[in-house]
Amino acid sequence: MRILVVEDEHKTADYLFKGLSESGYTVAVALNGLDGQHLIQEEEFDLIILDVMLPGMNGWQLLQTIRRTSQVPVLFLTARDAVEDRVKGLELGADDYLVKPFSFAELLARVRTLLRRAPARESSVFEVADLQLDLLRRRVTRQEERINLTNKEFALLHLLLSREGEVLSRTYIASQVWQMNFDSDTNVVDVAIRRLRAKVDDPYPIKLIQTVRGMGYVLEQPS
Amino acid sequence: MSPWPRALSLRLALLFALVSTLVLGAIGFYLYQSLQKEIVWRDDQALLGRLERMRALLDDSDSIEVLRQRPHLYSNMLGNQESLLLMLDERQQVLIEINPTQLHIPPLPEADHVQLIDTTGAEPARLAWIHVQRDTQPVTLIAGKVLTERNQMLAAYRLKLGIALAAGALLAFLLGWLVSQRALRPVRRLAKRAAAIDVQHLYLRLDDEQQVSELRTLSRALNLMLARLEDGFAQLSRFSEDLAHEMRTPLSNLMGQTQQTLRRSRSEEEYQSLLASNQEEYERLARMIDSMLFLARTEQPQASVNLTRVDLHALVEQLCEYFEGMAEDSGMQLANQTEGWLLADEELLRRALANLIANALRYGEANSPISITSQQLEDRLEIGVHNLGTPIAAEHLPRLFERFYRCDPARAQTGDCGGLGLSIVRSILQLHGGRVRVNSSERGTWFVLVLPTNGVTPTAEAMTDPAQPGPTTR
Repeated sequence: MRILVVEDEHKTADYLFKGLSESGYTVAVALNGLDGQHLIQEEEFDLIILDVMLPGMNGWQLLQTIRRTSQVPVLFLTARDAVEDRVKGLELGADDYLVKPFSFAELLARVRTLLRRAPARESSVFEVADLQLDLLRRRVTRQEERINLTNKEFALLHLLLSREGEVLSRTYIASQVWQMNFDSDTNVVDVAIRRLRAKVDDPYPIKLIQTVRGMGYVLEQPS
Repeated sequence: MSPWPRALSLRLALLFALVSTLVLGAIGFYLYQSLQKEIVWRDDQALLGRLERMRALLDDSDSIEVLRQRPHLYSNMLGNQESLLLMLDERQQVLIEINPTQLHIPPLPEADHVQLIDTTGAEPARLAWIHVQRDTQPVTLIAGKVLTERNQMLAAYRLKLGIALAAGALLAFLLGWLVSQRALRPVRRLAKRAAAIDVQHLYLRLDDEQQVSELRTLSRALNLMLARLEDGFAQLSRFSEDLAHEMRTPLSNLMGQTQQTLRRSRSEEEYQSLLASNQEEYERLARMIDSMLFLARTEQPQASVNLTRVDLHALVEQLCEYFEGMAEDSGMQLANQTEGWLLADEELLRRALANLIANALRYGEANSPISITSQQLEDRLEIGVHNLGTPIAAEHLPRLFERFYRCDPARAQTGDCGGLGLSIVRSILQLHGGRVRVNSSERGTWFVLVLPTNGVTPTAEAMTDPAQPGPTTR
C-alpha cells in the first residue's frame, strides 16, 4: 500500500513517514503542494494525506486537481477545525479529515479504514487465542468458560476484537462505545478497560488487552 | 442614501429654514389674501357708488341729451385713465361713453339690480352694470375699472413677499445653523471625552453631571457600556494571563523532564517512560486548547445550536453508563431521576451534563449517591446534579463558572480540564438561552441547568411514550 504525505512541516512529515513506514506502508513525502502534484502525476498511490496550509499550492487547490483525474482516498490534516473548513474539505472531495493535534493511533485507524474501504469484519463470531465472542448469542467465553459482561463491557470487548491488533485511542473508544464525541477529561475508559480486564484477562495466563502507553489500548495475542 | 445631510447642525438648520418658510409663507399668504379682498371690495364699492350717482343724475336730469351735453357733471368723478363709464340704450347704442383705454365691452345680460363681472382679455377689467327705466326708455348703465394697475401693484406686492420669504428662510437657516452649532456643543464635548477613552483608559467615564438632560441619559448608558466593557476586558486580560500560566505548567514539566533525561544516556525503559509522561502533558495541552476553542466558538454571537427533541432520561442513562465504572470505584451511585423531553442540542447538552457529573464524581464524598433530577416548571426545565461533600465556600460560588477559576489553586488535578469544565457548561447553557446556577451547603452541592422551554412543554404523547421508561434508580 503506497501512501503519499504532502506536508510542509518537516517534523510532522518526518514522524508521519516513520510511523506509517513502521506500520507497513510504503510512504512518499512531498514538502509542498507543487511537488505533491508532480508526484501524483508520476506515481500511483492508494491514499494521500494532505495538509491544508501548504506553500505554493494549498491543500484545497491540490485536492481539486487530484479530483479531476482520480478518486484516490484523501485524508486532510488541518489545524483549523471551524465547521466551514471541514465542510469545505469534504465538499471538495476529501474522504476524511483530522484536526491537529491528533493522536497517531487515531491517524492509523483512519488510514486503515480508508484503505480497507470495506467495513470492519462482519462476522458474528470473533476469536483471539482462547477468547471467543459470539455477537448474536451475546456470549463471551474463555477457555470454554462463560464470562458474564455488562452491555458496555460487551460493546467494548466487541470493539477491541473487531479492531484486533489496532491501537485504539481513548477518545475513539469513548466515541464508539458511549457516543461521547468530545474529549472528556476523565479516566472513564481506563476504568472500563480495567474492569474488563478483571473479567477477561486477569484470571487467565495470557493477557490479551494491552496498554500502549501514550496511545491507547490494543487487543492482540502477545507474540 | 438619505438626501439628508449627515451633520446634525446642518439638518437642524434646514429644518429651521423649512419651518420658517412654512410659517412665513402662511402668514404672507393670509395677508396677501386679505389685502386683495379688501382692495376688490373697495373697488366694487366705488363702482357701485358711481352707478348710484349716475342713476341719481339720470333721475335729476330732464333727458339723456342734457346729460350728454354736460359731461362735466360726471366726468369729474372719473378723473383717471382706468375708470370707464357707459350708458347704452336698448339697442346697445352708446349714449354716453367715457372709455379712455377703449376697452371692448362684452354684451351684458339684463339685470334689474347691480351686477358685477370680471372681464378678461388684453386688459382685464371689473364691470358693474344695471338696467334702469328712463321714462319709457330702458338704459344700461355700466361703470368699470381697468385692473391693469391693480394687478401690477399686487404682482409687485407678491414679489416683495416672495423675496421677504426667501430672505427669512435664509436667515432662519443661518441662525438655525448657528444656534444648533452652539446647542450641539455638549455633544462635541461628549465626543471629545469619549475619544480620550481607549484600552489603556477604560476606567475613564463620561461626566454626566453637567450634561443637558437629553445627553445625560446617553452618557449614563455609555458609562454603563464602558463599565461592562471594562469588566469584560479585565476578564479577558485575566484570562489570557491565566491561559499563559496554565500552559506554562505542562510546558515546564515537558522541558524539565526532557532536559533532565537528555543529560546522560538512559535505559530504554527510562526513555519510554519519559515519552509516555510527555504524551500525558501534551494531551493535557491539547485538551486545554480544544476547550478554549470550544469556548471561543460558543461565545461567538453567530454560534448556532442544532436543536432536536431530546429524550432526557435516555440521555442521562447513557451518561450514567459512561461514568458507572468511575462511580463504583469510589463507591458512589449514580441515580437517574430525570424524565421528559426537551428541545436542545443533544451533543452540547451531553457535554454539559458530562462535565457536571464528572465534577460531582471528582468532588463528591465517597460512598454517597449522586442524583440527576429534572423538574418541569411553567416556562423552564431544570436539570439538577447533586452530590454530597464538603460545601463550596460562598465566596467561590459566583466565580465558579469563570474560566480557570479554582477554589483551591493547589487542587488542580491532572484529570482536570484546567478549570474550564464549568465555563463550558455555562457557555452551552447560554447558547440555549438558559443559565446555570449552583448552591452548596452541608446538604450537598447542587448544580442546576435552567433551560427555557418557551412555553413548549413536552407533549402528552411524549410523556406517555412507551419507549421511555419511568425514572429508575440504580
